[in-house]
Amino acid sequence: MREVAIIGVGAHATGRFRNKPLKALAYPAIWDALGDAGVKVADVNVAYVGNSLGGSLTGQEGVRGQVILQHSGITGIPIVNVENACASAATALRGAWLEVAAGAADVALAVGVEKMDVGDNTRTIGALSGVSELDLSESGMQFTTSYAIHPKINLKARMQEYGWTAADFAKPAVKNSRNGALNPLAQHRKPLTIDEVVQSRVIVDPLTLLMCSSISDGAAAAVVCAADVAKRFTSKTPISIAACVLQSGVYRLVGDQRPDSATATAYEAYEKAGIGPEDLEAIELHDAMAPAELMLYERLGLCVPGEGPRLIDEHVTTLDGRMPVNPSGGLCSRGHPVGATGLLQICELVWQMRGEAGQLQIAKRPKVTMAQNQGGLLVGQDSAVYACTILKS
Amino acid sequence: MNVLNPDSLRIPAEPGAPPCLLGNRCRACGNVVFPKMPVCPACGTNGAMDEVEIGRTGKLYSHAIAHFAPQGFKAPFFQVFIDLPEGPRIFSLVGTKCPVEPGVLEDGMQMRLVVEPIADTPERRDQLTYKYVPAHEGGDGC
Repeated sequence: MREVAIIGVGAHATGRFRNKPLKALAYPAIWDALGDAGVKVADVNVAYVGNSLGGSLTGQEGVRGQVILQHSGITGIPIVNVENACASAATALRGAWLEVAAGAADVALAVGVEKMDVGDNTRTIGALSGVSELDLSESGMQFTTSYAIHPKINLKARMQEYGWTAADFAKPAVKNSRNGALNPLAQHRKPLTIDEVVQSRVIVDPLTLLMCSSISDGAAAAVVCAADVAKRFTSKTPISIAACVLQSGVYRLVGDQRPDSATATAYEAYEKAGIGPEDLEAIELHDAMAPAELMLYERLGLCVPGEGPRLIDEHVTTLDGRMPVNPSGGLCSRGHPVGATGLLQICELVWQMRGEAGQLQIAKRPKVTMAQNQGGLLVGQDSAVYACTILKS
Repeated sequence: MNVLNPDSLRIPAEPGAPPCLLGNRCRACGNVVFPKMPVCPACGTNGAMDEVEIGRTGKLYSHAIAHFAPQGFKAPFFQVFIDLPEGPRIFSLVGTKCPVEPGVLEDGMQMRLVVEPIADTPERRDQLTYKYVPAHEGGDGC
């Protein structure tokens, strides 16, 4: 396998852009990434386009990638459509990485884009339910519920088990809202207080509105390139992809003793990158419901079970901490346009590693970072998709 | 009335006979899965799955009140996971006669299967499915 580097990234702001179709959201992200990389359209050998809900929400059931890229002037090359629920963009990045790592391409483009604001929130929630196995979604199961009581997540049980209070539960949302407030691309830019989060409307007990990511549109793109040809295009510090790991959920019977799938994915990535969780200097993780961040701290090996709130109290994972988590504001503040999220995470990490993160810049520029993205639910009691990407500079 | 999941739910013709779920038991390892699948997810054996009647009762594993409903459903409503005595842990809704209030359900309580329309909404009221209610006397109305 060849060494692969990210040489350019770009993102569309996240939020509600009612009149912008998928291709209009993706266009600025794509051209910002090409410009950032110093790459011309003719240099791009292959593209992977991640999107999850475009079929059911926009009616463009097929060839969304070709439609989106033609609008941006990219035609003729192989274009692969990627649907992998909320991890579609991370999966698109893996496709691009693999093309270059395998030597099939020198320059590959990964795009993630989502259009969720279609003027009918109920329809959007319905489409989101459809990225879980039909046996679950047809029975009325929702993502919010799954975070609250699903056997693999069960935040309600964690609260009881560890004695976490409602205030503990609100801490990730508050921390991330402060980051989002500094992020010009973020959907929600108001710093929140613990009281505001706890007292906002209950969606599914114990999750309140301000703990949940919201309906959002957005796009992000990355140009990946063989490390040995990166200098041909740009003088910027190339960001190496040290690991790009994708796993799928496993069928779990009650009492399954195998490691959690988020854990297994992260540790496969640590091993491939030759690092441990203690080496990470910035992390973007999948906090679709903010308190999930506390659980992911455990699952990614950042703390022992139950200690999550302490990482925030002791300023370990805050922007001024040793290991900032979700510097962008995460899914609840930066926003969660589902098929774009994995690459929005990558954009933030690349900007941090290059010292280009503006007001969000982590004081000690991180050299080793990780993006963790996941999505979908299966009847086998696991999420459908787990992805971890480790970057080094 | 249509049955939403005819391959997963058996509604006996005889009046009074309790309905049940249909799962698969693996002849090789004995594990039971729901819904049915042709390859055992526990031991990987292909073609050794027998249909079994399961889930007439169960134990409440977890529950929450959802205050927001997807299209075709009405909030607030309970969403629960049930541990079946045969092995599977399954997602379910709760019978609509059970009042949707905190304290009505308690994790660990015995539940029994009932059949009713999945939701009392124009889109879904003709679709019969399984739900669970507390098993105690009068439990369908809690």
